[in-house]
Amino acid sequence: MSLLEVDDVKIAYRMPGDDVHAVNGVSFSIDEGDNYGLVGESGCGKSTLAKSVLGLLDDNGEVRRGSVRFDGRDLLDLSEREWQSVRWEDIAYIPQSAMDSLDPVMTVGAQIRQAIRKHRDVSKATANERVAEVFEMVGLDPDRTGNYPHQFSGGMRQRVTIAMALALDPDLLIADEPTTGLDVIVQDKIVDKLIEIQEEIGSSLLLITHDVGVVAETCDETSVLYGGKVMEQGDTDRIFGAPTNPYTIGLKNAFPEVDQFDEQAISIPGSLPDLTREPTGCVFRNRCPFATEECEGSHPALVEVDGRLSACHYTDRADEMRAEAADPATWGIDVRDEGDRTAGVGNAILETRDLEKWFRQPQGILDDLRGVDPDYVKAVNGVDLSVREGEIVGVAGESGCGKSTLAEVIAALQDRTGGEILIEGTPVDELLGEDTKEFRSRVQFIFQDPFDSLNPRQRVRAAVSEPLKIQGHDAETIDRRVRRTVEDVGLRPAEKYLDQLPTQLSGGERQRVAIAQALVLDPTLLICDEPASMLDVSLKANILNILREKADERDIGIVYISHDLASLTQIADRLAVMYLGRIAEVGATEDVVTAPKHPYTASLLAASPKTDPAVDRRRVLLPGEPPNPVDLPGGCNFAPRCPKAEETCRGEEPERSAFADDGHEAACYFPVEDVETELLERYAAAREEEVGEVVEDGPTL
Amino acid sequence: MSFRRFLIKRTVIAALLTLIAVSIIFATLRLLPADPFSALVASGSLTPEEVEQVRAMYGLDDPIYVQYLRYVENLFTFEFGISLTQQRPVGEIIVPALVNTLVLLLPALVVTAILSSLAGMYAGWNRGSWFEQSSIVATTVFRATPIFVTGIFLLIIFSYGLGWLPAFGMRSPLANPQGYVATYASVDFLRHYILPFTATVLFYSGDFLMLARNSVVERKGSEFLMLHRAKGLSEMEQLGRAGRNSLLPLVTYFALRTGMLFQGVITLEVVFAWPGIGRALVQAILNQDYPTVQAAVFIMALAVIVMNLTADLAYAKLDPTVETGDV
Ligand SMILES: Nc1ncnc2c1ncn2[C@@H]1O[C@H](COP(=O)(O)OP(=O)(O)O)[C@@H](O)[C@H]1O
Ligand code: SF4
Ligand code: SF4
Ligand SMILES: [Mg+2]
Repeated sequence: MSLLEVDDVKIAYRMPGDDVHAVNGVSFSIDEGDNYGLVGESGCGKSTLAKSVLGLLDDNGEVRRGSVRFDGRDLLDLSEREWQSVRWEDIAYIPQSAMDSLDPVMTVGAQIRQAIRKHRDVSKATANERVAEVFEMVGLDPDRTGNYPHQFSGGMRQRVTIAMALALDPDLLIADEPTTGLDVIVQDKIVDKLIEIQEEIGSSLLLITHDVGVVAETCDETSVLYGGKVMEQGDTDRIFGAPTNPYTIGLKNAFPEVDQFDEQAISIPGSLPDLTREPTGCVFRNRCPFATEECEGSHPALVEVDGRLSACHYTDRADEMRAEAADPATWGIDVRDEGDRTAGVGNAILETRDLEKWFRQPQGILDDLRGVDPDYVKAVNGVDLSVREGEIVGVAGESGCGKSTLAEVIAALQDRTGGEILIEGTPVDELLGEDTKEFRSRVQFIFQDPFDSLNPRQRVRAAVSEPLKIQGHDAETIDRRVRRTVEDVGLRPAEKYLDQLPTQLSGGERQRVAIAQALVLDPTLLICDEPASMLDVSLKANILNILREKADERDIGIVYISHDLASLTQIADRLAVMYLGRIAEVGATEDVVTAPKHPYTASLLAASPKTDPAVDRRRVLLPGEPPNPVDLPGGCNFAPRCPKAEETCRGEEPERSAFADDGHEAACYFPVEDVETELLERYAAAREEEVGEVVEDGPTL
Repeated sequence: MSFRRFLIKRTVIAALLTLIAVSIIFATLRLLPADPFSALVASGSLTPEEVEQVRAMYGLDDPIYVQYLRYVENLFTFEFGISLTQQRPVGEIIVPALVNTLVLLLPALVVTAILSSLAGMYAGWNRGSWFEQSSIVATTVFRATPIFVTGIFLLIIFSYGLGWLPAFGMRSPLANPQGYVATYASVDFLRHYILPFTATVLFYSGDFLMLARNSVVERKGSEFLMLHRAKGLSEMEQLGRAGRNSLLPLVTYFALRTGMLFQGVITLEVVFAWPGIGRALVQAILNQDYPTVQAAVFIMALAVIVMNLTADLAYAKLDPTVETGDV
């Protein structure tokens, strides 16, 4: 008997109009001690399913059919009171968004203690001991249990929720996207922690994520969900080693590996099926390149293929489909001629010289009067960056490393505090001179969040024509250019979109409107700050393709900022890696990715999960988080976390040209030769030591 | 910024505000066309020579800035002078009246804040319930009705109709208690107290109810409550957390409300013939008793400022995310 058995579960949300059929007959089971993965794009019903196991569905949600059995007991029959004893004691939950999941007006320690004392009759002191213990287990400082959630970074808050989930040694842990929104390095450490602890306490894990790489690396078995249906189910290695279902194939394609540079991103075009009716045909048919009339008629049953289950009418053609799916044309994506890249040959569009943006730290009036020198946050600290015509320069780095500030300073959304910015050889101050018109017609910016960057009351036409109006064009020109640009970004035909409001558009469409807004002035430089980070994988690939196309067609220079290395390596001709306001390494994408020289770059690259289950990757246990960029130590910024650091490194800061080879530069005295032995093994060894100290056990409950 | 520095900064601001308020009162009263004594001359009770004497006695002959400084000094040391019409120190008139008002309003406000907030939280938690709907309708009606109308209705029903409770004043005409304890701790006082108290509670209940309901509704779908629920907290415990998270706007509003305590006090006290500061102010204005008017207005202004200060401080203390520097 399995620990958790979900059998033919159907869940719908009652809505004023039509009900939303979020989960449509899903079955799976988890054995004791197993890691089970649920993957799929957002909206496919993963969270709904997880919540039903805990009895936490929203008020309008109801399980319409099927059963959920835990340890032989039917959970769906439980009364609210019985649920309360199952929750956390037997099944604990790690929520999707640690940012908002902790009670803001309660110390984190108190929140964990509350969970303990709700279920165990122990004194406050004993509970506190346990809190300190789980804090140590997840690598948090036990002295900080008295802090409030806002005093922790995102990654640390996620650790708090994990610590909380461990407090009672539950039999099953449900983790709903525990690392979404975190940097790769933090993600790697958290997943590593989670798996380690879960093995230690012997509980089972239900891991929910949209990141194929994370599942492929951590789960024994997996279900791939789409439209509330299981598309493929079984052994993870088999599923992602050689997917047999068109949806799984598409999903895996959409997750490029970091070292698949220069390949065109292949997305799954189209959007989620309409869930307001129960599916009659295959839920994937409106996006599936292999759909036929038969697929229209009925949703395929799960059948065994090659050692796993797959729901497709054409499982016998799996190999063939897999081969065809590797060709973008299969998915209706225009094939791009990759050989035609003009990288590095055009004229320089952007050049920054020793660019600086320091934020003054607030200090006391008395200190001001006494003339104490204020502290500065050196968000951007001496950055030299150049972008040429038709070139995409990627800027990578953990959150807080200064990427966004750099983008905003270049786009003149913030003033710089030092250095020079040249746009096509002209200093920005000259362009900004009388009014910003001249500058804005050359430099445009695309923001991170497609939901906030558009005015909700402005129709697409008005939104896209606004920049032209500001430049003072006549009505006829405006109309022509708006139409052209809107179609250019793939919103075709323009008529269909021009009169829509942002709320009537999907996330991907909104971001395309934002891109159209930026492109309509025919800028020479486009700065994109995480333009696709809020979007689902398939949409993300789509946006990448549009940007690449524009760079090639219009010879625009693009600065593409992201913490997602896989998208960067796909799209960028050159890659710059930032750490604490400085560029640690820069060079042609291929050089940087295949032969990273700076230990930080190497760690960052090694932290990206691999979607191919056959690859055995060693986790990157880079110690600590980036320090607060206020009181930086002298010498190399990275020295406190660098396993290769030596005396020289702490003395004087390495120049970016400390390592230089054919345009590939790294600010490091001792460039990395072998990532495995020089970094990863040393990180792991350092961690072992640290853990060894902690493990000498405290009391258990 | 440390809490102490924050405290000092806020207190200085409050003191400045008080000074401004005081100056406005001063200017307004000096700008009135006639001074109080002209009326006395007109009514024939004083000769012009006597008026000169009195003016000198009250210091009204001094240059305006001397008057101003003396005036400010007096107010800040709570020296309000002698009433023009009652020949007693203004303090003796104002202080008992103020106490009467506070005894009526503060408990009423505290009671309504607690009860209606709890009711509002419960209503928000059980959204769409019968309780939610009816409580909103009822309290909205009382909020929309002027307080004296509610008062009159209460009087009509409970005093004139049923005859259960007295209609006027704070005590029976025959009772003549000495000292605060004897005054307030008596059945007679309680019988007079119930109706104006109820009118006040009903009037303010709507604000707190809606505010509490709305903040709980807002919290209800939040991720952290879901996590609390996942931990196995009972319905009531979850509501408790939602309530704690809604406390901030409620406390702020409570303080603000207390600052505006005297709003509506005049009609309330007139309807119930409650011998409070509102009624004292009305009488002083009618009698052109400027020192008393001055003192009453000053005290009301001071109350607003002090309560706003308290609200700020409570806010900073209650919300761990408010770094005292941002406030
Ligand atoms: N409370 C709700 N009311 C109505 N629809 C909902 C609600 N919660 C989720 N849904 C819908 O159910 C579907 C599945 O959502 P969800 O389980 O959150 O997916 P995932 O976790 O895979 O992103 C989506 O179409 C979503 O819009
Ligand atoms: S059943 Fe048809 S539509 Fe569905 S995945 Fe298979 S081929 Fe595509
Ligand atoms: S310079 Fe030294 S400390 Fe800095 S990254 Fe290189 S090896 Fe590490
Ligand atoms: Mg989800």
